[in-house]
Amino acid sequence: MYDAPTPESPVTTETMKFSARNVHVFYNEAEAIKGVDVDILDKTVTAFIGPSGCGKSTFLRCLNRMNDTIAICRVTGDIRLDGQDIYDRSIDPVQLRAKVGMVFQKPNPFPKSIYDNVAYGPRIHGLANTRADLDGIVEKSLRRAALWDEVKDRLDTPGTGLSGGQQQRLCIARAVATQPEVLLMDEPCSALDPIATAQVEELIDELRQEYSVVIVTHSMQQAARVSQKTAFFHLGHLVEFGETSHIFTNPTDERTESYITGRIG
Amino acid sequence: MSNQHIASAFDRDLETIQARIMKMGGLVERAISDAARSLETRDEELAEEVRGRDKAIDILEEEINEEAARVIALRAPTAGDLRIVLSVMKISGNLERIGDYAKNMAKRTSILTQMSPVSGSPAALRRMAREVETMLKDALDAYIQRDINLAHEVIQRDRDVDQMYNAIFREFLTFMMEDPRNITACMHLHFIAKNTERMGDHVTSIAEQVIYLVSGEMPDDPRPKDDQTSTDPSISSSS
Amino acid sequence: MTDLSSHSARSHLKRRNRHQTMIKGFGMAAIGFAALMLFILVASLVSSGYKAFTQTHITVEVFVDPAEIKVDRLPRGGFDDVLLASLKTYFPDVSGRADEKALEGIISNGAQFALRDRIVADPSLIGQSVTVTVPVSDPFDQLAKGLVKRDTPEAQRRVSDREIGWFDTLDRADAISQPVNWGLITNTDSRFPELAGLKGALMGSFWALLVCFVISFPLGIGAAIYLEEFAPRNRLSDFIEVNINNLAAVPSVVFGLLALAVFIGWMGLPRSAPLVGGMTLALMTLPTIIIATRAALKAVPPSIREAALGVGASRHQVVFGHVLPLAMPGILTGTIIGLAQALGETAPLLLIGMNAFITSAPDTPFDSATALPTQIFIWADSPERGFVSRTSAAILVLLTFLITMNAIAIYLRSKFERKW
Repeated sequence: MYDAPTPESPVTTETMKFSARNVHVFYNEAEAIKGVDVDILDKTVTAFIGPSGCGKSTFLRCLNRMNDTIAICRVTGDIRLDGQDIYDRSIDPVQLRAKVGMVFQKPNPFPKSIYDNVAYGPRIHGLANTRADLDGIVEKSLRRAALWDEVKDRLDTPGTGLSGGQQQRLCIARAVATQPEVLLMDEPCSALDPIATAQVEELIDELRQEYSVVIVTHSMQQAARVSQKTAFFHLGHLVEFGETSHIFTNPTDERTESYITGRIG
Repeated sequence: MSNQHIASAFDRDLETIQARIMKMGGLVERAISDAARSLETRDEELAEEVRGRDKAIDILEEEINEEAARVIALRAPTAGDLRIVLSVMKISGNLERIGDYAKNMAKRTSILTQMSPVSGSPAALRRMAREVETMLKDALDAYIQRDINLAHEVIQRDRDVDQMYNAIFREFLTFMMEDPRNITACMHLHFIAKNTERMGDHVTSIAEQVIYLVSGEMPDDPRPKDDQTSTDPSISSSS
Repeated sequence: MTDLSSHSARSHLKRRNRHQTMIKGFGMAAIGFAALMLFILVASLVSSGYKAFTQTHITVEVFVDPAEIKVDRLPRGGFDDVLLASLKTYFPDVSGRADEKALEGIISNGAQFALRDRIVADPSLIGQSVTVTVPVSDPFDQLAKGLVKRDTPEAQRRVSDREIGWFDTLDRADAISQPVNWGLITNTDSRFPELAGLKGALMGSFWALLVCFVISFPLGIGAAIYLEEFAPRNRLSDFIEVNINNLAAVPSVVFGLLALAVFIGWMGLPRSAPLVGGMTLALMTLPTIIIATRAALKAVPPSIREAALGVGASRHQVVFGHVLPLAMPGILTGTIIGLAQALGETAPLLLIGMNAFITSAPDTPFDSATALPTQIFIWADSPERGFVSRTSAAILVLLTFLITMNAIAIYLRSKFERKW
C-alpha cells in the first residue's frame, strides 16, 4: 500500500497562547476596535487581514501593550497571555515586551553594531551572565533568523549597513534574542523586494515551530501562503476567524468573500 | 458592498469564460437535438452536418481551458471566483464529452441508414435524447442563474434517463432474439442508447458543479444510479 | 503629436527664462548687498583697528643707579628718575622741571613698573646698565603711527614741535620700534591706552561663559528631555512651551534688570562678578538650548523609539540609551550657538555692573571683572586717542571668537550629520 507522506499539517496544537475577549480600543472618543474576541494558538501563524484603517495593527499593538505609549489610547476588555491578564496592574509592560516580541514594518535596527543590536535585549533583561553567554545568545538568535552565515564575520559593523531584507532579519533576530513566546509582526515585508519577502516568509514558517506568530499583512496572498489561521478585520470588527484554507476557498461571511476577491477596498 | 471587482478587467475575464461556456452549451444542445432527429428521420445529410460541427465544440473546450489557466495565473482567484473558474473547466470537459457522444450518435446513424429500420426503437431513443437535451438546458440555466434547487432536480431526473435505458436495453434484447438479422442494427442502436445514458451522467456532473459553485461543497447525496444492467442478471431474461 | 519647439512653446520658454533670470538676479543682488555691508563693517573695523595691533616701543640703555635704587628699599625706588636719566643721555641739554617732565612724558607711565619688576626679580642688576624696551606714551604712539598730523597748528596738537623734534631724534637713533602689541591680550585694563589690554575682559568673559554653561547645559537639556519625552500633552505643557519660545525673544536688557533685582539685590551676590554675569547669561541661553535640544530630540525618528520599546526597554532606557546619544550632535550645536550668542551680550552685563574700571584680572568667578563686550563699551567711551583704534581691535578680537565658535558648531554638525 503506497503510503503518501503526511502533508504539512495546518495546526499542530490546540494550546491557546493569547485569548482576547470583548476588546475595545478608543482614541479619545473614536472607537477603533469594537468588541473583538479572538484566540491565538501556540506554534501557529495567525494572520490579520483587512482593508486600511480596519484596526488590525491597533489590535496587534494591544497584545504587547505598545498602545500604552500613545497617550490618547484607551484599551478595555480582557486580554490574557497563558491565562494571565496582561493589562493587570501587577504586570510590567517592559517584562511583557520581552516575552512578546515585535517586528515592525520598516526595518529599524539600532544605529549600533550588529552584535549590539541583538545583544541589547538580553543585556537589559539580564539574560546573560557572562560574555560567553551573550555571544551564545547572539549566535543562536542570528542563526534562528537565517542571518548568521551572512554576518558572522562582521558582527562589529553597523546594523544599518545591511540590505533591506537583511535588516529585517536582523530585527527578527533582535526580537527572538529576548527568548519570547510570541512574535508580533506588523507588515514585516511591505518594505522588502520579492526575494527578501520570500526569505522572510520562509523564516516565519520555521519560526512557528517554536513560537506563536501573529502577522498583520496587506497582502492576501501572503496571508494565504504563510498562516494557518486567518482573522479578517473590517471597520474595527472581527468579521471572521478561521482556518486559512477555509477562509480562502469558502468563507462564511460575505464581507470576507468581498474583501478576499477584491470587491471592496 | 458591490459585486464588481475593483479590477474591472477581472470581471471581464470571468464574464468571457462564462459566456463561452454558454455558447458551448448551446452548440452541444443543438448537436444532441440534430443527432436525434437525424436518427429518427434517417437523414444522412444532417448526420454529416452534426459530425462536422463537433470540431467547433472541441475548439471551444481548448479555448476555455486556456482562458481559465490564464485567469488563475494572472488573477489568483479565491473563494467564489476560484470556484467559478474550476467549475467552468470541469463543465467544459463534460460538455465536450457530451458533444462527442452526439457525434458518435450521428456516425452510427449514417451506418444505420444503410440498413433496414428496426421498429419501435427510434421513438424510445428520441424520448431519451429529448430528456437529456432538456436536462442539459436546465443544468445550464441553473448554472447561469446559480439555481441550486434546479440543479438538484436535474440530478434526480437522471434516474428517469437510466430507467429509460434499462427499458431500451430489454427491448433490444427482445428484438435480437426475435430476429438475428436485426443484431447489427440493434447493436448500433444499443451503443447509441448507452451513449445517451452516458450523456445524462455528464449532465448530472454539470449539475453537481453548479451545486459546488453555489454552496462551496460537492453534493454528498449519492448520485442516483438506476442502471441495473451491469448488476442485475435478471435483466437478461425477456420481460 | 506634441510639438516641443512650436512658436508658442518657444515664447513660453523665453518668458520662463526671463523670470528665472530676474529671480536669480534678485537673489544675487541681495547676497551682494549683504556681502557688501559685511565687507564695509569689517573693512572699517580693520582700517581703524589695525594700528592697535602694534605698539610703539622705545629701547634705551638704563643705568640702574644704586643711588636711586637701593636693594633693601625694593620694591620702592626712583625708577622713573633712572629712566629719565637714560633719556637725558640723548638730550643732555634738557633741564628744568617742565622740560624734564615733558621729556619723561615720552615714555609710558608703566615703564617704571616694568623696570621695577625686572630689578626686583634680579637685584644684582643694581649698579649695572640694562637695556629696556618699554612702550612710549600714547601721544607719541599716535605720532609714530601718523594719527597725529604734523601739519596741524601746534596749539591744536597734543605734542609740541619740540617734543616732535625729540621723538624724531630718538627715531633716527633707532631707539624706536613697533613690535606686535601682545599687550592687547596680556595686559589688563589701564588708564593709559598703551598699557591697556583685554586680559581682564577675556578672563571675565571666560568665567561668565563657564558659569553660564554649567548652569544652562544640564538644566536646558533636562528640561527639554522632560518636555519632549515625559511630560503629558496637555494645556499646561503647551503653556510652558509657548513661554519658553517667548523667552528666547525677550530683550536682553530685561534679563539684566532681573539679575540686578534678584541676584544682586535680593540674594546679595557681589556686583560685577562673572558669577552673576554667568547666571544672567544662563537665563538667556536656557531657551536657546531648550529649543535646540527639543528639535534634536524630535529629529530622532520614532522608529528607533518603537524598536527599543518593542525589545522591552523602559522609557528611561529608551531616552537615555537611544534617543539622547543620537540627538547629541544637534544638542551640542545648539549649545555652542547659544554660548556664542552669550559671549556677545552686552546690555545685561552692563546692568549688573560689569562695566566698571577694573585693572586686575579675576582669579575666581566672585571677583569683580569686565567682560569682552563691556570692555569694548568702556573703551569706546574713553577720551584718549589711543582707545579709538584699540576699541576696533577689541571688536575684531570678539568677532574672531564668535566666528571660531560658530565654525566649530558648523563643523560638528556636518561631521555628525546622520542619515537614518
